[in-house]
Amino acid sequence: MSTTPPTSAPTAAPSAPAPATVTLTIDGQTVTVPKGTTILEAAKTIGTKVPHYCYHPGLSSPAMCRLCLVEVEGAPKPQPGCVTTVADNQVVRTVSDKALGNRQGVLEFYLVNHPLDCPICDMSGECDLQNYVHAEGREHGRGVEPKRVFGRDDFGGDVLFYGDRCVMCTRCVRFMSEVEKDERLTVVERGNRSVIDTFFDEGLDGTHWSGNIVDICPVGALVSKAFLHKARAWDLEHTPSVCASCSQGCNVELHTRDNVVQRVKPRENLDVNGWWMCDYGRADYEWMNEGDRIEAPLVRQADGSSKAVAWKEALGGLLARAKELQGRPVKAVVSARASNEDLGALAELVGALGGGEIVYRSPRSAEEIVLQGFPTLARRKDLAPNVKGAELLGMHRVGADDATGGLDKVRAHDGIVVVLGDALADQDERFGASAALYVYVGTQLPVAARAAHVVLPVTTHAEQEGTFTNHAGRVQRFWPALTAPGMARPAWLVLGALVGELSGEAVPRTAADAYAALAEAVPAFGGLAYPKLGARGALPMISGAAVSSGAKGA
Amino acid sequence: MAIGVKVMHRPQPESTSYLRAALSGMALTFRHMVNPVKVTQQYPEEQTELHPRWRGTHVMETHADGRPKCVACGLCPTVCPANCIRLVGGEDDQGNRYPIVYEIDEFRCIFCGMCQEVCPVEAIHVGQHFENAEYTRARFVYDLDRLMEQDHPVTNLWDPSDPTGE
Repeated sequence: MSTTPPTSAPTAAPSAPAPATVTLTIDGQTVTVPKGTTILEAAKTIGTKVPHYCYHPGLSSPAMCRLCLVEVEGAPKPQPGCVTTVADNQVVRTVSDKALGNRQGVLEFYLVNHPLDCPICDMSGECDLQNYVHAEGREHGRGVEPKRVFGRDDFGGDVLFYGDRCVMCTRCVRFMSEVEKDERLTVVERGNRSVIDTFFDEGLDGTHWSGNIVDICPVGALVSKAFLHKARAWDLEHTPSVCASCSQGCNVELHTRDNVVQRVKPRENLDVNGWWMCDYGRADYEWMNEGDRIEAPLVRQADGSSKAVAWKEALGGLLARAKELQGRPVKAVVSARASNEDLGALAELVGALGGGEIVYRSPRSAEEIVLQGFPTLARRKDLAPNVKGAELLGMHRVGADDATGGLDKVRAHDGIVVVLGDALADQDERFGASAALYVYVGTQLPVAARAAHVVLPVTTHAEQEGTFTNHAGRVQRFWPALTAPGMARPAWLVLGALVGELSGEAVPRTAADAYAALAEAVPAFGGLAYPKLGARGALPMISGAAVSSGAKGA
Repeated sequence: MAIGVKVMHRPQPESTSYLRAALSGMALTFRHMVNPVKVTQQYPEEQTELHPRWRGTHVMETHADGRPKCVACGLCPTVCPANCIRLVGGEDDQGNRYPIVYEIDEFRCIFCGMCQEVCPVEAIHVGQHFENAEYTRARFVYDLDRLMEQDHPVTNLWDPSDPTGE
């Protein structure tokens, strides 16, 4: 079983003896890989994908799909690439007549009972059976016998099972038993009649990670109820992002169509989430599509009404008032769902206004839900993605575990009040009424922003570029998947412009600039820059403090 | 060779008579009166026979129970070069995938017939029809009900007995 995440290999390498390597030939190319690598993984290193169903890097290899059989010189018959380890001077052919002929035969068997209902199958377009048959299968089927029919079955949770489409790779069964370690699925019957099933009526209800079996199903046998018939695979745009559902910071992809997030899929990152993500994160995307957004800056008029104005006017008026009040203590409330750049810009703004206190509220759950077979992955107690980032910036937590309360001091504050992102759901319209200047920076307009002198519309993390710091201090980038509504702009841009005007410093033009400014100002983010972070994030170079305190920050 | 100029000597109006030309013209007219050659088609009383592969406004085929044959697979909006098909798929109460919204903008359509060619269930067809006048532009966006109501014959883009043309 290969579910153990690699430990920090680069640092461990110098002290350990050099790993033994094996050199072999795959399709005429010489490949050198560590000893013990399988042929399938070795072929991957030269960009050759050997077709397979049952093999998954995060699961054990039963070698039962018989599709990855490759020709190994000297072996009496084709060898399964997923379990055959490489040997020195081995000569492997993955596209020889023998290997191709074998795959064509195996694929024909797969189609004996497959309903070929691609037009109504949600997997169509990203289906391994479709791809392999299209690439290497027979042009016409020869089957004349009637196909066996199972129909569909509701497995509970978010999972629907179409038994006819199943290729019996048992990845789902192995995921539940080896990774989630909650054996809910099994193979019943034998041979032609064998089918995946749940135990009696138990189903998958109550599991926390079962959405992953939809991802690892190579065909359309397991599909998501939430995504059923919603979009075709080829219409979706994939944007790398970070899950905002807890402080684990699972790497995800947002799949969008027509500026609407249609589903969330995990993105491979062995240091954080492997290939998996929890069902809560998977279901946590509807809020990105909400329509009731603030679309223009709002400025309160003398008669108490709000007026939508241009950015220049809103920021100009705000600056004039802020300069008058400069030196008055600031109290700021932030959301731990804001990016590092946003929080950094806010911290700078508070500093430029003369300093003050920044607090955040974040919901916490009672317990962690650990993925047993991949213990570094868990649904963390902190149900916001950037709690660690807020802590590193010196902000501190107030309020209860359901993210309410704790704002009494801010509520009655008579200086400057700034709110960034917090929805203030537990506050009424008197919030901030006694403040000399109350600025609400957010995406939606709550009742508690009624007294705000200026309301500035900002983007959600799905609409902007930025970074989150996960519970272990790992800084990870996300990219904009949606177009922001109306005049909404990223908070780091809006607040950065204010800081620039107040302090005379350069205004950040890109998220990379904003991060660079943050890395310069706050040592905990130092040593990193966007190009270094890449798609999979990195730990800050310096701070042992940041990394070690991550353990309790969870 | 030098360029030569041809000089035309036309008869002057005052030195000639129109009578001969008028008589020959009237002779033609009267000849057709007694021996008419029919070239005018009496449209709309008489309808033109359309070419078998004429591609006109669309028809959605239906099952015997009145449901559309479409399974909302999404291939026609994908293949459509004019991007004139809007499709939202869903599931009906019997668990069948079907189009909740299926609209074709016949103004944007270029009548290439690729939607019919790509359809895996032979639901959407181009039709043997060209009389599409409407009073408003909006009426040219045909929704699913309208497409199912179309009663004109559909086009055969290929020989049904030999679909691959072999």
